Amino acid sequence: MFASLRRTLSVTQRVLSQLRHDRRFIAFTLIVPLAVAYVLFIFFDAFENPMFDPTQFVFPFGAFIIHFITFILTAIVLVRERVMETLTRSLVNGYSQTDLILGYLLAYSTLATVQSLLVLTELTYLFELDFSLETLASIYLVMWLLAVISMALGIFMSNFARNEGQVLPFIPLILLPSIFLSGIVLSVDQLPDWAQTLSRFTPLFYATEILHTLVDNGTLADESAALINLPIYGLVVLVLARFTLRESA
Amino acid sequence: MSAQLAIQAQGVQKRYGHISALKGVDLTVTEGQIFGLIGANGAGKSTFIKLLVGAAKADKGSLQVLGFDPRRHKAALRQEIGYMPQAPALYEDLTAAENLRFFGRAHGMKNLNEQVETTLDFVELSQRADDPVNTLSGGMKQRVSLGCALVHQPSLLLLDEPTAGIDLRLRSAFWQHFKKLAAQGTTILVSTHQMDEVVHCNELAIIDEGSILTTDTPQNLLQQGQAEARVWRGGQMEKHALQDYPVDLPKALHAYGLDPQIDRIELEANTLERIVLGLIEKAARLSGGK
Repeated sequence: MFASLRRTLSVTQRVLSQLRHDRRFIAFTLIVPLAVAYVLFIFFDAFENPMFDPTQFVFPFGAFIIHFITFILTAIVLVRERVMETLTRSLVNGYSQTDLILGYLLAYSTLATVQSLLVLTELTYLFELDFSLETLASIYLVMWLLAVISMALGIFMSNFARNEGQVLPFIPLILLPSIFLSGIVLSVDQLPDWAQTLSRFTPLFYATEILHTLVDNGTLADESAALINLPIYGLVVLVLARFTLRESA
Repeated sequence: MSAQLAIQAQGVQKRYGHISALKGVDLTVTEGQIFGLIGANGAGKSTFIKLLVGAAKADKGSLQVLGFDPRRHKAALRQEIGYMPQAPALYEDLTAAENLRFFGRAHGMKNLNEQVETTLDFVELSQRADDPVNTLSGGMKQRVSLGCALVHQPSLLLLDEPTAGIDLRLRSAFWQHFKKLAAQGTTILVSTHQMDEVVHCNELAIIDEGSILTTDTPQNLLQQGQAEARVWRGGQMEKHALQDYPVDLPKALHAYGLDPQIDRIELEANTLERIVLGLIEKAARLSGGK
């Protein structure tokens, strides 16, 4: 147990050291979501219809941006580890799949913490949203949780790509449909039954459900089912990632 | 008896789709040896090493590495072995020392920093310890990679083409390192496709198209080769094929006595490379004739 924790922290330390050396990766993770959030602001700002209330869309879209970028970057990093054979080498050298997955998760959680905070602050400022500190903290928690789950999903899905280029089809296959299946654009109830079932397989569905309630002056307690489902979803993906993480390409 | 065997493989088979990468490999490696696995690219060397470290699963046959089944006792085995893959497999944005520290930390070593320093010194990289790997030359990366395999002082080293693509001076330095390690009691299995390197091994196996053609010492293999003596006498050249030239040559020359008409004698012995190629060609002929 102690040995496993030591190895997990060793992976975390290694990933954080890599991040320190890789400023471009940090820029992608932190600046790109801010830039996309700003484009979102310009887009919504252009709507001159006074009946349009952007608050229903702002945070779910913000969550989508975080989900998209975190998922893609994590999947690419893991595929790169496999292609470079550092993954095989780490495993042969005594690290376990659990050590590696948790180590990555811990290290990237620090990034997710900053990333979610920046996006939330920017959206609140740009759209001049006036929410209580409690609501903002709850929104932040959901975004952070989604970022961590997106990493787990990225690690799991990396198993299905042989090289970095093969991560790209995940965008039209998984990420883009999740916009329409999660209730960001259209209420999930209006979708056909099969699409409603499919929507349960995207973490964005649970996050959007909670975020809609929060911006409608609800609390986390009002969405306890979704709030439980979101970490369960993450846990299931983590277990899947643990048992499917291949040693070699 | 089996306690002295570092590696024991019996009838090991491995397929990748329709390609048969290993076709029933039988091999034993005694502890403390430098054992060479010699074969062309695609012969099955890397596949075999991947099976030994438990990174892939054999379809058939049995494998014991340091007394462990590489798949069933992965965790225990991996504490005892050092693995250097064919690709450098390093974290390029980390420094040489950081790479060694990361791979060493998996083993919970108490004297890790000291061991990292000693290992970097051993692979002659102390001066570049704090430089990111992506600023090092190809040869230096190979040395970092070797260091990562050595840092936890494993009792068995599995090196997959460690000298591929490096210059002659560094190749020679690598073999000196391997000999030093073997002298300290480390068992080394090293794969290579460079025939001139096999003279450094205590024993070697020649692998071709997934089958072991022969296992022997380099000295015994050399004796399998032929030599040819060419004698020029009065403008005429005569050839003598010699099977075992240290014994046959004096006999062949005996016929000439101290003939003053002999202008020149040339002796050409088969190189190990030619002997190995001969074995591969013979195996191909036999399998083609079946």
